[in-house]
Amino acid sequence: MTGSQAPGLRAGTYLRLLGIFYRNSLLNEMEYRLKFWANVGLSLFWLVWAALSVRVYFRFTGTIAGWAYHEVLVVMGLFFTVNGIHQALIAPNLARMTEYVQKGTLDYLLTKPVDSQFLVSLRHIGVHNWADPLLGLGLVGYGLARGGTAPDAGAVGLFAVLLAAATVLLYGVSLLLQTLTIWSVSSRGMDDVIEGLLETGRFPVSFYGGAVQGLLTAVVPVAFMTTFPAEALLGRAGWPVAVLAVTVSATIFLAASVFWRFALRSYTGAGS
Amino acid sequence: MTTRAVPRVYPALLRAAWGSAVAYRGQVVLWLLTSLFPLIMMAVWLSVVEEAGTAGGFDGPDFVSYYVAAAVTNHFTVAWVSWQWDEDIRTGGLSVKLLKPLDPFHHHAIEQLGKKLLIGAVLLPAVAAAAAVVSSIRYPVGPGTAAVAAVAVVAGFGLNLVMASAFSMLSFWSTQVHNLYQLWWGVGFFLSGWVAPLELFPPTLRRVAVLLPFRSSLGFPVEIVTGRLDGRAIAAGFAVTGAWSAGFLFVYRVLWRRGLRRYEAVGA
Repeated sequence: MTGSQAPGLRAGTYLRLLGIFYRNSLLNEMEYRLKFWANVGLSLFWLVWAALSVRVYFRFTGTIAGWAYHEVLVVMGLFFTVNGIHQALIAPNLARMTEYVQKGTLDYLLTKPVDSQFLVSLRHIGVHNWADPLLGLGLVGYGLARGGTAPDAGAVGLFAVLLAAATVLLYGVSLLLQTLTIWSVSSRGMDDVIEGLLETGRFPVSFYGGAVQGLLTAVVPVAFMTTFPAEALLGRAGWPVAVLAVTVSATIFLAASVFWRFALRSYTGAGS
Repeated sequence: MTTRAVPRVYPALLRAAWGSAVAYRGQVVLWLLTSLFPLIMMAVWLSVVEEAGTAGGFDGPDFVSYYVAAAVTNHFTVAWVSWQWDEDIRTGGLSVKLLKPLDPFHHHAIEQLGKKLLIGAVLLPAVAAAAAVVSSIRYPVGPGTAAVAAVAVVAGFGLNLVMASAFSMLSFWSTQVHNLYQLWWGVGFFLSGWVAPLELFPPTLRRVAVLLPFRSSLGFPVEIVTGRLDGRAIAAGFAVTGAWSAGFLFVYRVLWRRGLRRYEAVGA
């Protein structure tokens, strides 16, 4: 079964569809307002808790692998930001892949006159996780203020590019892994693997040293998601890093798109 | 079913739980993969000692031994039964379990045990092999103390089981139990010995942490097997574990009876 082609639809149509999807998600979630506030409270709690636990390490040393306390807080804030983006934008869609394949919903999605990758990637949004990226950026700001250094416009621009690249990269990696569901039918646990890998982004990659640091930069590109954007804000990164990040995320994004189309070609449908 | 008959059905149910765990062994592999967390903490501490020499009397090998033991202990003591309880109560799946002659608690406990047997069969040989190769993994205790640590692990699992069950009983009244339990668990995460061995905490915080139930399922067994506790401290740790277990068991049974009355009222 193919059907991922959607000739004749323009970007405007896709934007209008996104508007409808998100309004739908929002209306759905507004029924559970208490849940939203409970989530915000819980996120705030985790954030403060994580920041406090880092203090335990700094009881014994002034810097860890060249990072001071406030600099680690910036990385930690970015971890919450990227993790929040994952939970709000990426996970609500791709985590449904198992259900799509097992229940045959994917057959139905493929009959729609819209690009199938667009549908499986952006159909849903986790409204009650919206606050997480904002809270994370709050911690980033606190870390910067604590260090007493304000990043200049160039550093902020570099940071924005790196954060956007990080989001695309995370999406690409998630799509690559979730596409495997087409063959394995169940990807339960795959989500936990992605979250577990992301978890290493709590700290600068240089904390892990040697082989693991290389692995987290080149193989599982967690360094691009938290360490590099943080280094940009702290004035430690230059444009070469941004060029590298954009190249890597574009490559992964394209690879994931190609892989998704390749997987669909071998997908036989739930009915047949 | 009488209380005396329960031990007799355990072996059979355990065989079934083992079978189901083996059937879904792929998930166990994934689960092992995701437990990178203790290794993250270990890496951070190794970076700290690289710069500071030692931290509170812990050197590099001490941290490696501590976190390897912590990872193993956690696999055996963790009890993810609150999901199951919550789902059963909310969706009515509990009704089916109530028809069976065995209390639902035992179903949850056995399912966890089956998973633990499988993980143990993979994890323990792996750790033993690692310890034989990596010289910094060292546990300077005799077989007697090691056995005491094993008992502490079992006690920690028991405590986690009744603690999660006690919280889950609130699902009879509220849909927010999961968040509440996460919050509780979040506090525990910090004070259990995950983030740092409790010895490295500020003294006041440590004195509070040893009285709370969280250390029982992580820091306590690890501290025993790494030879950091004397007889008195071990006895005190078991007393804390026992007291909290009894407390949560009592709360769980009271809420269970009350909740069940309410549940039947909803179903009728």
